Amino acid sequence: MDLLLLLLIPLLAGLVLPLLPDGSPWVRRGALAAALLQLLDGLWLWQHPPAAISAGWLPQLGLRLELGLDGLTLPLVLLAALLTAMAVMASPVDQSRPRLFFALMLATNVGLIGAFLARNALLFLLAYELILIPTTLLVATWGGERRAGAAIRFLTYGAVSGVALLAAVLALGWLQPGGLNFSYTALADHSLSAVQQRWILALVLLAFGLKLPVVPLHGWQPPLTYSQAPTPVAMLMSGVVSKLGAYGLLRFGLEFLPDAWAAWSPWLAAVGAISAIYGALNAIAQLEMRRLVAYSSLGHMGMLLLALAAATPLSLQGVIAQMLAHGLIIALLFCLVGLIELRTGTSAIPELSGLLNPQRGLPFTLGLMLLALLAAAGVPGLAGFVAELLVFEGSWVAFPWPTLVCLLASGLTAVYAIRLFNRVGFGRLDNDRADWVSTSWGERAPALVLTALVLVAGLWPSMLTGFSETATAPLALRSSDAVTVIAMAPANLNSPNLNPAQLPA
Amino acid sequence: MASILETAASVGVFNTLLAAVDAAGLREALEGPGPFTVFAPVDDAFAALPPGTVQTPPPQLARILTYHVLSGAYSREQLVAEDSWSSLEGAPIPIRCKDPFEVKNATVVTADVVCDNGVVHVIDRVILPG
Amino acid sequence: MSATVASERIKAPLIPPSTHRYADVIHRLEAGGSMLPDTPENLKQIIGIYKAYAVPMDFYWRDLLYIAERVFLNPLPAFKYFISQEYLDRPNSYAGDQSQLRIWRGGEKAHPELLEFMERGETGRMPKLLHHLWHDRVNMEFAEACMQAMLWHQGMGGRFNDYLESDAYKANADRAIKAYFKGNPLMLGLYALFPDMFLEQVRQLSYTANLGLFWEVMAPVFFEMSDIYDEGGFKGVPDAMDFIVNGIFAVAGRPIYHHLYIGDECYEIIPKSEGFTWLYEAALPYVEAVFYRTAPFRGTKSYNAQAGQVPADQADFHYGILYADVFPVGSAGIPPTLLMQDMVHFLPPYLKEIYREHKRGEEDELVQLGITFQRSMYNVTSAVIQALRCALLYPLDDTNPEHLMANRRFFEAQMDRFLRPEARLPDIQSQNYR
Repeated sequence: MDLLLLLLIPLLAGLVLPLLPDGSPWVRRGALAAALLQLLDGLWLWQHPPAAISAGWLPQLGLRLELGLDGLTLPLVLLAALLTAMAVMASPVDQSRPRLFFALMLATNVGLIGAFLARNALLFLLAYELILIPTTLLVATWGGERRAGAAIRFLTYGAVSGVALLAAVLALGWLQPGGLNFSYTALADHSLSAVQQRWILALVLLAFGLKLPVVPLHGWQPPLTYSQAPTPVAMLMSGVVSKLGAYGLLRFGLEFLPDAWAAWSPWLAAVGAISAIYGALNAIAQLEMRRLVAYSSLGHMGMLLLALAAATPLSLQGVIAQMLAHGLIIALLFCLVGLIELRTGTSAIPELSGLLNPQRGLPFTLGLMLLALLAAAGVPGLAGFVAELLVFEGSWVAFPWPTLVCLLASGLTAVYAIRLFNRVGFGRLDNDRADWVSTSWGERAPALVLTALVLVAGLWPSMLTGFSETATAPLALRSSDAVTVIAMAPANLNSPNLNPAQLPA
Repeated sequence: MASILETAASVGVFNTLLAAVDAAGLREALEGPGPFTVFAPVDDAFAALPPGTVQTPPPQLARILTYHVLSGAYSREQLVAEDSWSSLEGAPIPIRCKDPFEVKNATVVTADVVCDNGVVHVIDRVILPG
Repeated sequence: MSATVASERIKAPLIPPSTHRYADVIHRLEAGGSMLPDTPENLKQIIGIYKAYAVPMDFYWRDLLYIAERVFLNPLPAFKYFISQEYLDRPNSYAGDQSQLRIWRGGEKAHPELLEFMERGETGRMPKLLHHLWHDRVNMEFAEACMQAMLWHQGMGGRFNDYLESDAYKANADRAIKAYFKGNPLMLGLYALFPDMFLEQVRQLSYTANLGLFWEVMAPVFFEMSDIYDEGGFKGVPDAMDFIVNGIFAVAGRPIYHHLYIGDECYEIIPKSEGFTWLYEAALPYVEAVFYRTAPFRGTKSYNAQAGQVPADQADFHYGILYADVFPVGSAGIPPTLLMQDMVHFLPPYLKEIYREHKRGEEDELVQLGITFQRSMYNVTSAVIQALRCALLYPLDDTNPEHLMANRRFFEAQMDRFLRPEARLPDIQSQNYR
């Protein structure tokens, strides 16, 4: 029941809010309340591990309502709830068509939580496809100037991703002996041949590589969707929806198809390294803040893929840490860029300078932006460092050269972070155009919360890794000290303080 | 012929100038043998200045007055031969070489009034250094 | 009647219009106006800021004279800003009943608002030492920075600087130094070893006295302008400017001197009999050195010669208030920032109201008043330009076209100094520049 509550809260809110009168302030407050309630519920579930749910739905198709929360998905659920709340807070008070907007945001949230909670591949697929519609609508209706093209491209890529995933899931189900059973336990326990595994892995990689995204499947992300999406949507998409891709790779690739994964992991590591460098170099060249942040996100996802490819226990902890840290940081960056654009009217870097001016600039916002940029660059003491350290240390033993390339990319993140801050923060404020008011505490609130979390996570790394150590260790394909490939079967381990992976018998 | 100051007193339009000369303590110097060339502003010239300009202590007033004096007696013809002359105060006085005869920003109303110890040229504005 | 009026209307101007970039400003100057446009808000702003400037200025000139005349060559002048009561009570020669040339109707001692601020500051009633250490006081460092600008730029006209190099001055200074350090073998020994160092310090103190005597005049001028404005006596910005022009001429001949007082004895380092005037030796050098040139503020420009940020030619310096960028760049210590912080304590209520209604209201009062101050200094510079024109050139209503062209060339030469991009002359023409 508790698990269902996680889904029901946003669902009910999403259905009830549009019934409120137009222009009522309760629409926004209601959405925020729903997200916060969901977050509280998630925190409750963290302390009181729920029982898994397993109920029939469409047994002929093999679609069962199987929901569960394990160490892998708990942090993602919390991240989704938190970022939904922050996204709602970051939306302007005079949001146009608020009822539709918040309903769609909550629908996205439902899809995300459903995808994370699912313990049945078809259910996962359902939720995965469900997310596509509201996100496309959000971009198409409230986006920037070129939102139409961005939304269409996003939809196209998303549709291809969905089709590929559908094929992969169906293949996984059909190729098993003994009827259609799409539950995760069954899928993890398959006996597919190596060739079959590779075909399915190719589809899985296509599907989730489009979502993450990675080079060369990233065409929808930086130039269009992230830069054209309104700030709350960009926060949610880059913060959580892309993590869905990482989660999918972890679950469907690493857990269900370990042999194929191990065989292809050198290529995956190379793709990850290329992605990282590509993202960093492009970010350096950008003249517009949102595109810069989007390319930064691409770079970080490349590092995440490297850690996934390496699949040592340490690097998998790095995967989770990177998912959480990057989710927080990228949402924070988009939130701040949105705030700057709201006040100054532009997010083009050549048009901005001197915003740190204490009298007429945006010193508070830029101060938080400094922390966010440092976190993105991986400066110790902030969340990004924890994630990157785990990723690099974990991946080094498996793939030293790609790790070195990613290290270089991480160094380059410092380049664009400092350049951005230098151009936008320092320098001379143009007095003729500096006629905006300073940001209010309500507008600063989401950025403040996210910055606090980034700081705390940097100083207390267990916040990023503590949820999931025991959940990721069994998934590792390599040990952290040797390079030989050891495939380990997922085992049921008991952890002293956090839920073990609860797989229904 | 009379001295410069006596000539000025007799004309009647130099009362302010003479009072200033006395206040600055330059009477003895200007009564001396010289010879001097004096550009003498008429009373109207002093009146045209903003109020209080010449109500200054003697050393400062002396500077304004000595700026109107050249060492040596020069007629108009001699003066227009050069475009700048060094005054007794030290600062230069530019002279306009063509018609009309102008000294800095003052016009010479009457030129070449010869006296015992020098020449007087009557000007319609008070000239100031700078 | 109507015939003469009609004929005046169709009377053609005697000289063709100017083709300078600032032609409309030049035409305004030729009509007797100021570089600052004549609007009621401009007048309100500049009078308000003149009054806010005059109160700390009252402290500056008294303390400058205190330093030049009493503190003198004290090797550890830790208390040079702790002005004595004698200097607070020193009668301003241009205010009060005892004045011979009374400019301000008010009293001759320190302004009551100044005394109240010195008592309380921003924090509250504390011993003076704590106020000083907490820097909750009038920022005297600004006055010293102005003095240093004048000292460093030196030959800005007048004969003051030449006199400081003369033998007469050296003899006077020598006498004064020996008298000051009488009975102090250590300092006298140092003086014997390094006479030029002490002489240079005395020159600096002479400039301190110069600046003090300059500002002694400007403070009552600004106070009187504020009082006249409160009565409604100014019809516009040109009226305010004319008041300053008349003030300049009235005080032009004020002697500039430097007297040292040891106990009751007076040592004349620069005697009055040298004939230095307020206009030529104090005002004009001050305008040139402080309004136009000053020096690049540390932290805002690189002093590295290879960086080429500071011009090689001193005449090219453009760091004065007329070229200033309003944003206080970086931290405290930049002289205009210090002055702005001083002025913010004494703003009249009508000026505070203007600031509250624009930009960020009370949050960026400092920036707004900095821009107002810039406008007001453009007005003062216009007064100086008009005064120079009045003294050295021809009246504005002269009928001789050659004379008018001479005036025109003079104005154009003055406007040429504002052609550089840093000049704020085009900005102040609009009311939106806040």
